[in-house]
Amino acid sequence: MNPLRTIFLTEIAKGLALTLRKMFSRPVTVQYPEEKKPVAPGFRGRHALVRDPETGRERCIGCLRCAKVCPSRCIYIETERDPETRRLVVKRYDIEALRCVFCGYCEEVCPVNAVVLTEFYEYAGERREDLYFDKERLLQNWDEFIVTQKRPYFNPYWKPRGIPESRLPAPKRKAEGV
Amino acid sequence: MEAILKSALPTLILIGEALVLLVVALLHVAYTTYAERKIIGRMQQRLGPNRVGPRGLLQPIADVLKLLTKEDIVPLGADKTLFYLAPLISLVAGATSLAVIPVWEKFVLANVNVGLLVILALSSLSSYGVILSGWASNSRYAFLGGLRASAQVISYEVAMALSLVGVMLMAGSMNLAEIVRAQTASSFKIYAIPQIIGFFVFMVSAIAETNRVPFDLPEAETELVAGYFVEYSGIRFGLFYLAEYFGMVVMSAVAVTCFLGGWAGPFEVPGLPFFWFLVKLYVLLFFYIWVRATLPRYRYDQLMGLGWKVLIPLSLANILVTGLLKLWV
Repeated sequence: MNPLRTIFLTEIAKGLALTLRKMFSRPVTVQYPEEKKPVAPGFRGRHALVRDPETGRERCIGCLRCAKVCPSRCIYIETERDPETRRLVVKRYDIEALRCVFCGYCEEVCPVNAVVLTEFYEYAGERREDLYFDKERLLQNWDEFIVTQKRPYFNPYWKPRGIPESRLPAPKRKAEGV
Repeated sequence: MEAILKSALPTLILIGEALVLLVVALLHVAYTTYAERKIIGRMQQRLGPNRVGPRGLLQPIADVLKLLTKEDIVPLGADKTLFYLAPLISLVAGATSLAVIPVWEKFVLANVNVGLLVILALSSLSSYGVILSGWASNSRYAFLGGLRASAQVISYEVAMALSLVGVMLMAGSMNLAEIVRAQTASSFKIYAIPQIIGFFVFMVSAIAETNRVPFDLPEAETELVAGYFVEYSGIRFGLFYLAEYFGMVVMSAVAVTCFLGGWAGPFEVPGLPFFWFLVKLYVLLFFYIWVRATLPRYRYDQLMGLGWKVLIPLSLANILVTGLLKLWV
């Protein structure tokens, strides 16, 4: 090491110059509750079931694919057949958000784009039940979320990247947003 | 009655002046903590306190109120008397030094002829508070902090005193007001130019003396949790903080009087007699904070090495050169 540099403490002077320079730069702090950063598209936040704008009901067809693919097994579905129309009706669709790992597989696998992880993230609860979403809660989550969004809304996970268009189920292929 | 009043008047004036000085100093200490947090925050590209009051200006008051309402815990095995006494020793020793500092030509609380000695004595006394608190807490971390403080004080006290000898030689006095007058009369106006080595040694050892980064080994959060005051809580903890910042203010004030020309400035500011003193004081306080935001902590052996092998020989050489110049020039 150069003795002159040691005597005149150039390294320390360099450090002091750096901190002085930084003092006049803009702070990076985000004043969170007052100031929010925009959420990245496809942020995996609170769960919701898409409410079909035509029928006003959930789009889910009760195929159970989401329940099967879910790695943390937090989706519980019960279906029954309507005796008159012989159609499958979703009687119960629950997501236990506290067990969810937010992998987003359910939205990728859903053939009708019925389940979605919304970009809403401020949903702390005080009790476990607050974060146990049943079908009504999930639909309500959707209503709360969609009013904040531009229509038509299309979640990036609804068309998983890397899978050729031709191998997607038909409703997913045709989907253009809600 | 009138005679009694007349005889008591000087004392009353003195008490009044002391109160004014104390209140002003306390305000300075409180807002040094605020300035420190704010400046270090900005240097780290954060905002610093900004919630209490406009721009966080009431933060120090909120801190004091919080500390006052906290529980005052005394550890079971502690030496109670010393435990209670230690923060007071630190604080009183730190604050008393202010009395001999000439803030202005006509404002010196105690114009003693050995002002510099008083300050040196009191600043080494304040480390007794640190050492005693480390011992009285009956905790290993606190004890280690206290030991480090004593070793550090021994080595840096010497360097600091020696660095001031050059100033004494040049001014020919130990009275701080005399030193300032001698400075303004000298050709350089401030002693920081001819006594540059003394100034450097003084600044470094003053940082070590007040236990601040990069020489904050007695309290080293990362190794000793909080060092000597780890067992303190509530307002006693606050007193240690107060003492540290008082030490900082006093050391900066001494540097201003001994090296930077005290109250004298390039021109008179009408109506503000303390203007230049305060400006210089704030610059030095900013320097302390700036150094704290920049440098990492010294290792213990490096600290001792710096004190004994660099600073003391440097200040001795400085004394020698100053003395010879004084003799022949």
